[in-house]
Amino acid sequence: MYAYDTFDHAMVNARVEEFRDQVARRLSGELTEEEFRPLRLMNGLYLQLHAYMLRVAVPYGTLNSRQMRRLAHIARKYDKGYGHFTTRQNIQYNWPKLVDAPDILAELAEVEMHAIQTSGNCIRNVTTDQFAGAAHDEVADPRATAEIIRQWSTFHPEFSFLPRKFKIAITGAPKDRAAVKWHDIGLVLKKNEAGELGVEVLVGGGMGRTPVIAKTIADFVPESEMLSYLEAILRVYNEQGRRDNKYKARIKILVEDTGTEEFKRLVEEEYEAIRASFIDVPAEEVVRIRQFFAPPPLPVLADEDAGLDALAAADFRFRAWVKNNTFAHKVPGHVSVTISLKPHGGIPGDATDAQMDLVADIAEEYSHDEVRVSHEQNLILPHVAKRDLVAIWQKLDAAGLGSANVGLLTDIIACPGLDYCALANARSIPIAQAITNRFDDLKRLEDIGQLKIKISGCINSCGHHHAGHIGILGVDRKGEENYQLLLGGSGEEDASKAAILGPGFDEHGIVDAVEKVVAAYMGERKEGETFLAAYRRLGPDVFKEAVYGAR
Amino acid sequence: MAHVDLQTGEDVAVWRILEDGALPDEAGEWLVPLGRLKDEAGSLLEEKGVRLGVLIETETPHSDLAGIGNYASFAAIRFPGFGDGRGFSLAVRLRKDYGFNGDIRAIGHVIPDQAQFLLRAGFNTSEVPEERREAFVRAVNRYKHVYQSDAQGGISILRQRHDQADTRRVS
Amino acid sequence: MAKKLSGPQMIVANRLTDGRVLFLTAEGWAVEPTHSIVAHDEDEVTALLAVANADVKANLVLAVEVVSAEVGEGGVRPGHIKTQMQARGPSVRTDLGYQVSPFWEN
Ligand code: HEM
Ligand code: SF4
Repeated sequence: MYAYDTFDHAMVNARVEEFRDQVARRLSGELTEEEFRPLRLMNGLYLQLHAYMLRVAVPYGTLNSRQMRRLAHIARKYDKGYGHFTTRQNIQYNWPKLVDAPDILAELAEVEMHAIQTSGNCIRNVTTDQFAGAAHDEVADPRATAEIIRQWSTFHPEFSFLPRKFKIAITGAPKDRAAVKWHDIGLVLKKNEAGELGVEVLVGGGMGRTPVIAKTIADFVPESEMLSYLEAILRVYNEQGRRDNKYKARIKILVEDTGTEEFKRLVEEEYEAIRASFIDVPAEEVVRIRQFFAPPPLPVLADEDAGLDALAAADFRFRAWVKNNTFAHKVPGHVSVTISLKPHGGIPGDATDAQMDLVADIAEEYSHDEVRVSHEQNLILPHVAKRDLVAIWQKLDAAGLGSANVGLLTDIIACPGLDYCALANARSIPIAQAITNRFDDLKRLEDIGQLKIKISGCINSCGHHHAGHIGILGVDRKGEENYQLLLGGSGEEDASKAAILGPGFDEHGIVDAVEKVVAAYMGERKEGETFLAAYRRLGPDVFKEAVYGAR
Repeated sequence: MAHVDLQTGEDVAVWRILEDGALPDEAGEWLVPLGRLKDEAGSLLEEKGVRLGVLIETETPHSDLAGIGNYASFAAIRFPGFGDGRGFSLAVRLRKDYGFNGDIRAIGHVIPDQAQFLLRAGFNTSEVPEERREAFVRAVNRYKHVYQSDAQGGISILRQRHDQADTRRVS
Repeated sequence: MAKKLSGPQMIVANRLTDGRVLFLTAEGWAVEPTHSIVAHDEDEVTALLAVANADVKANLVLAVEVVSAEVGEGGVRPGHIKTQMQARGPSVRTDLGYQVSPFWEN
C-alpha cells in the first residue's frame, strides 16, 4: 500500500500545525464560530447533538495494522472506546473534545493518516471497491488512481470552496461495489483496444432530497489525462454550480439544469484547453504510485482444505460464514474475508477499540498486514489463504465478530441518525437493531437471500436509503419519529432509485412492514430470483397490498 | 482595512472604487466595475494621471473577461463571502485564458487561511483587516510544497519527485 | 404586553471546548435541564438570548438554540425529541452516554 514520502509527511504535518493554530485562535476568540466552522469542517470536525464528532479519512478504504491500532488507541484515549465506520470508508469518533482535536490529528499523522477534506465544500475522501487489488474480476487496481486523485485534490487552491461537497468514487471492476453511479463523479477503470488504461467518467450522481443517478459523459479518458479531465469538470462546476440555495448546489442539479450534452460540451471545451498540460501526472510518477499497490506475493494454493471442510461439515455457522463472508480472490487458494460489523441487535458499523486491535492482529498474521473498510460498513481482510479461515473465524467469533450475514438482510447500512446527528429527524440505529433482532435466524436469512436494507435518519441520505433494495427514511411527523418505506433501489452497476411505497410507520410499524414485504417476496419469487429481481418484475402493487392491504 | 502584498505582507497602494456615474476626482488608481469599464474606458482614461483597473464581482461569467487587458492594468475580484470559491476560478481564468499580467487583488471577505490559495490562483495582493495582516503572512508560508502545478510557477509534488533539478516553489 | 409564545421555551447550547450539552439556568449553564429558566413570552426569550449570546461572545458556548420546554413535577424537561436526546445522551450505548460516564467532568 501507499507509503508517504517526505513531501507527504510535510504536507500532513503542516496541516496539523495549521489546525492547532486555528483551534487556538478559536479558543482565544480571534476566530468566530462562523469563521472557524468551515475550517474545522475541512479537518473533519463537526458539532453534533452531544459533542464534537471527528471524521477520519481512510483513503480508498485501505489500512495497515499499525494504522488500525492507532484508530483503536484514539478511540481509547480520546473517545469512549469505540468508533463508527461509515458508508464513505471513513471512521467517525462521536465524543472527541475540541481541545484534543489537534493532538488526535498529530497521532494520525504519525501513521500517515488524516482528516483532511472529510467534510466541507471541497473534494472529499475518494472511495473505491473494498476488494481492490484482490478481486478476481478487476481490470486494474483502482487505489493507485484514487491516490493520484487524493494528492491532486488535497488543498486544491481553486476547488476548496466549491458550491457544495464533492464526492468521487472509483471502481476497477465492471461489477460496481463502490456505488459509483451515486457520486458526483464516478470513475470506471477500463482498457482501450490498445490495452491502455483509462477511465469512463460519470457525472452528476447524488442522493439527498433529489436522488440522481450519474450519467456517462466520457467513455474513455486515458489515465495520463485524467486529472485534466477532472480539473475541467471541477472548474465548470465551481463557476456555474448554484450558490443561492444549498439544496440545489450539488453538481447533479447543474448537470440536470444544463442538460447532460451541454454540460459535457462545456467540460470538453475546457479539457481541450488544458489537456496534456502541467496539471497531469508524469508517467514515471504513475509508475511510482502503482508500485505501492503491487499485489502481495501470494503462493498459488490448493482450493480445498481438509480442516475447513471438516469444520464446515460440523458447524453450520462456520459453513454459512465461509459461504457469505468470503469473496473470490485473484490467486487460487485465497479469498477476501468480510468481517461483519452487523451483529444482530448491534450498531451497524461500530467497532470497539479491542475489536479494532484484534482485527489489526489478524491482518498482520493472515492478510499481508492489510485491512479494508467497505462502504457497506464492514471490515475486510483482503488477502487470506483458505487454509487459515478456521483459525481466523475462531478468533473473530470469540470477539463477537463472527456474524455470517454479509450480503443478507441483516447486513444493514444505517447512518448515526437522531442518536447522534444534529440534522436527524429520527433514529436509525434502533430500527436496524429491531430488524436484526426480528430476523435473528441465519437459516431464514439464507433462505431470503441477497437483500440490502439501508436506513437514513433524514433526507440527507447518509445511509443510502435511495439505493436500498429496501430503503428506510426517518421523517418528522408532528414531532414524532416516523419512517417511510422505499423499495427497489440499487447502488450497483444496475443502479436504480428506490420508490416510496406508501404512508409511513412508527418505529414498530416499520419493522412489521419490512417483514410483510419479505413475506410477499418469499411467496411470489421464482426459483433463484433475488428480492430486487422480483420487485423489478412484480412492481410495487403486490408489496403495497401485503403491507397496507389489511389496514 | 489594509491592502497588502500576499507574499510579504507589506502595504501596497489602495485602489479607490469609482462609484456609479462618478468621475475620478483626482489622479491615481481607480477600480471601475467591469461593465462600465468596457463602455467608458476611453473617456475615463482621458482624465489626467488616471490609471484604471477592473472591479469584478464573483458572479461574472468568465467569458466577460475576454480582452480585459486592453482596458485595465490591474484587477480586483470582490468576494461577498469567503466561501464564494468562484473568485478563485476567475483569477485562474484571468491568468490562464486571458493572459492578464497586471496585479490581481482579492477584496471583500477573505480570510487568512485562504492566503496561499489566493496566491496560487493568481492573486498577488489582498484587502485584509489590519489585525489579521500577520495571520495572512503566516498562512502564506504554511505549506512549503503543493500537490498541484499552477499557472504561478508552483510545481506539484507529483512532478518534483522526478525533477530534482527544478525546485521552484510557490513561496 | 409582550407577544405570547406557542408554548414555554428554554435555551440549549454546546460548550465550546468539548461540545457538552448545556441548559441555561438561573445559576448559569447546567448539564441537567431540570432547573432551566423558562420563557413564556418573546421578551423573556430575548432576555435569555441576551445572556446566552454574551457567553457565545465570551467563547464559552456555541450553537445556542431556543427550544420548547415542558414544565412538570420533576422540573423542566425539553419538549422536542431532539433536545430530549441531547439531555439524555444517545438511546444506544447507554452504557457510555452522559448518564454513566466519568469521562465528562461535567
Ligand atoms: C453524523 C453527522 C453527519 C452529518 C452532519 C452529515 C451531513 C450530511 C448532509 C448535510 C448530507 C446531504 C448533502 C447534500 O445533499 O448536499 C449528507 C449526505 C451524505 N452523507 Fe452525511 N452526514 C453525517 C454522517 C454521515 C455518515 C455517518 C455517513 C456514512 C455512513 C455519511 C455519508 C453520507 C453520504 C453517503 C451522503 C449522500 C451523498 C450524496 O448526497 O450524494 N454521512 N450528509
Ligand atoms: S442521513 Fe440525516 S440523520 Fe443520518 S447521518 Fe445523515 S444527516 Fe444525520
